Amino acid sequence: MRKSLFVSLFALLIAAMVLSACGTAATPTAAEAAPATAEATTAPVVAGAATATPTLAPGSVQVNAGGGTFPLPLYTQWTYAYQYVDPSVVINYQGIGSGAGKSGILDNTLDFAGSDSLLSDDQYTKGKDLQMYPTVASAVVVTYNISWAKKFATPAGAGTPTPTAPTTAPTLILDRQTLVDIYNAKVKTWNDPEIVKLNPALKDYLPAATITVVHRSDSSGTTEIFTKALTSFSTDWKAGGASAVEWPVDKAGNGIGGKGNQGVAAAVLNSKNSLGYVELSYATSNSMAIASLVNKAGKTVVANAASIASDMTDFASAFDAKLTANIVDGAGDGSWPITGYTYFILHTTSMTDCVKAAKIVEFIKWDLTDAGAAAAAKKLGYSTLPSDIQTKVLTALGTVTCNGQPVK
Amino acid sequence: MMKPTTQKNHWIKKIGQLLNHGDRPWFGLIIIMSVVVIAFMVAIGYMLWIDSGPSRVAFGLSFLQPTTDPSWDPVNSNFQAWPFIYGTLITSIIALVIALPVSLGIAIYLSELCPAWLRTPLNWLIELLAAIPSVVYGLWGIFVFLPQVVTPIGTYLFDIFGNVPGLGSFFAGPIPESGASRLAASLILAIMIIPTISAVTRDVLLAIPNSQREASLALGSTQWETIWKILLPYGASGILGAVILGLGRALGETMAVTMVIGNSIEGTISILKPGYTMASIIANEFAETVSALHTSSLIEIGFSLFVMTLLLNMLARLLVWSVTRKTPQEARA
Repeated sequence: MRKSLFVSLFALLIAAMVLSACGTAATPTAAEAAPATAEATTAPVVAGAATATPTLAPGSVQVNAGGGTFPLPLYTQWTYAYQYVDPSVVINYQGIGSGAGKSGILDNTLDFAGSDSLLSDDQYTKGKDLQMYPTVASAVVVTYNISWAKKFATPAGAGTPTPTAPTTAPTLILDRQTLVDIYNAKVKTWNDPEIVKLNPALKDYLPAATITVVHRSDSSGTTEIFTKALTSFSTDWKAGGASAVEWPVDKAGNGIGGKGNQGVAAAVLNSKNSLGYVELSYATSNSMAIASLVNKAGKTVVANAASIASDMTDFASAFDAKLTANIVDGAGDGSWPITGYTYFILHTTSMTDCVKAAKIVEFIKWDLTDAGAAAAAKKLGYSTLPSDIQTKVLTALGTVTCNGQPVK
Repeated sequence: MMKPTTQKNHWIKKIGQLLNHGDRPWFGLIIIMSVVVIAFMVAIGYMLWIDSGPSRVAFGLSFLQPTTDPSWDPVNSNFQAWPFIYGTLITSIIALVIALPVSLGIAIYLSELCPAWLRTPLNWLIELLAAIPSVVYGLWGIFVFLPQVVTPIGTYLFDIFGNVPGLGSFFAGPIPESGASRLAASLILAIMIIPTISAVTRDVLLAIPNSQREASLALGSTQWETIWKILLPYGASGILGAVILGLGRALGETMAVTMVIGNSIEGTISILKPGYTMASIIANEFAETVSALHTSSLIEIGFSLFVMTLLLNMLARLLVWSVTRKTPQEARA
């Protein structure tokens, strides 16, 4: 008796589950359609109000974003800080990679995307109204670990220090051709004449050891900026510029791939006589030895905010209607040659949720103009846009429309 | 008043009978659950097969062929999978060769020789070792194990075997200073699969009835002979199962291997050189592929790994079957 009751209850339960499963599948079109239209009607009101949004409850606008991991530390800080600027909007930026970000905005699974690499012409056609907006720029630096052939003279007492001998290891200097030759495995040892010529002070100190050349093993924006720079540096670089390439040093047998910035850093720190490239902010926060580079103008530069800004200014006129620019290897005297922008990608006309569209545009404007946002960028080693480029981006943001209405 | 209740009882009873008092729904549920597993397998295989289409069309069988001058060039869309296949196979095999005797030793000690008070803490430690996330193994590998242990071992192997004809190409060096090499990946994998194999083997040995041990000892065998000639053959199928589990983990392990293998695509077969595995190339490059063909090639590597794992599992089952067939069922009672 009890048992049969159980059985019938069980049968009911199964039936209920099946029914509810069908129910959830059937209802959302109606349920979702209602709030969407409701929001659309309130949109003009919101657009009219300049900053404060008294009509919206905190957290009522959910923005789904994702893309490149290169600027992820910065975007995380920005989205966190923005909650206090405008509590009504919650922006969730996921570091899923630039490629996934681009396909996400194409498929409309993301509200906006972040990417270090540019959209292809094909993607522009497919996406119809996609627009890239540069947010910040960053540099890639060459870091090294040399086991010096000779000890640097100690200041006093020990031995007989000659007055000219350096007491600590001076910064290694490389030029554009040498960097290409190292990554092409043409320059294979540290005491190669090419390197010695650039570092006369280190002549007796550079070891005769093979250079262990470290590169990123995962596809990344860092690699894309670096290989694009190598392509621009010399026609000897045949592997091309992309987020993943075929490394000539691997075939020569002195190349190692490290996963992520930390993988490259660990490989450089653990291998004597090695060299690798990482993002500037990563190298500085881990106090790694950073090589200076001789830029296109023939001047030796160190990577910092000023040299990145100088490079961006070099290419200010190269900015096209797409608001994109390949900014490696600037011609200015103080320009750091391995530099790249990172971008947000938006649909400019086909966004249908106007409240959300307004919030996204407001957020990007805040990123570009707010002093606190700029300070966060600087602290993490990114450089903000020079004012003329910033003006161009803001103008372009002003033309974004939603359902035919301008988004403010 | 009476009638409806009896009628109701009757109705419930009928449903109960119809459903065989719960047996039938239960049966259906179980069938669904097991079908789900098969459905997942088929769905994954189908998806991989379809999505790898462009790469299969473009490269054909040459994609998988052994070569000494492999190419993996996302910029010019030229892909060959051999260095990854070789890397996966060689690291898993070496890991297994190292891990098997050690794991057998651990299992035999724990089940046969260990004093009772030590057994529980040792068991805990081994199970704990199995529970460490692979990324932690990788980090420890990069910063401690590789420079401190692998580099000296690799240098030693190179000194001894590096110039032996034939063997030399297998131990061509020198090993990179950081230790990142196929050898490093093999050793890390060995450490990772030892707890798996030894824990299962221990359980297999403990499950052997004491009558077997007593009979063997009564016939005058030493403890060593009992273990070697009676217990191990008796548990052979179970131990093989443990080995399959270990091999499966080694083949598919991604994170720890990616962190220590050096991720370098080159044509030599030396275990002292940096290499690459199938799982690590997918983990490294899938997130940001350069072209559609690049994605498709990575998926074809995934498909190959899928098929390889399947084949190895089938081979192992065959082995288990042929071993168990030799021991008559009566002896196993």
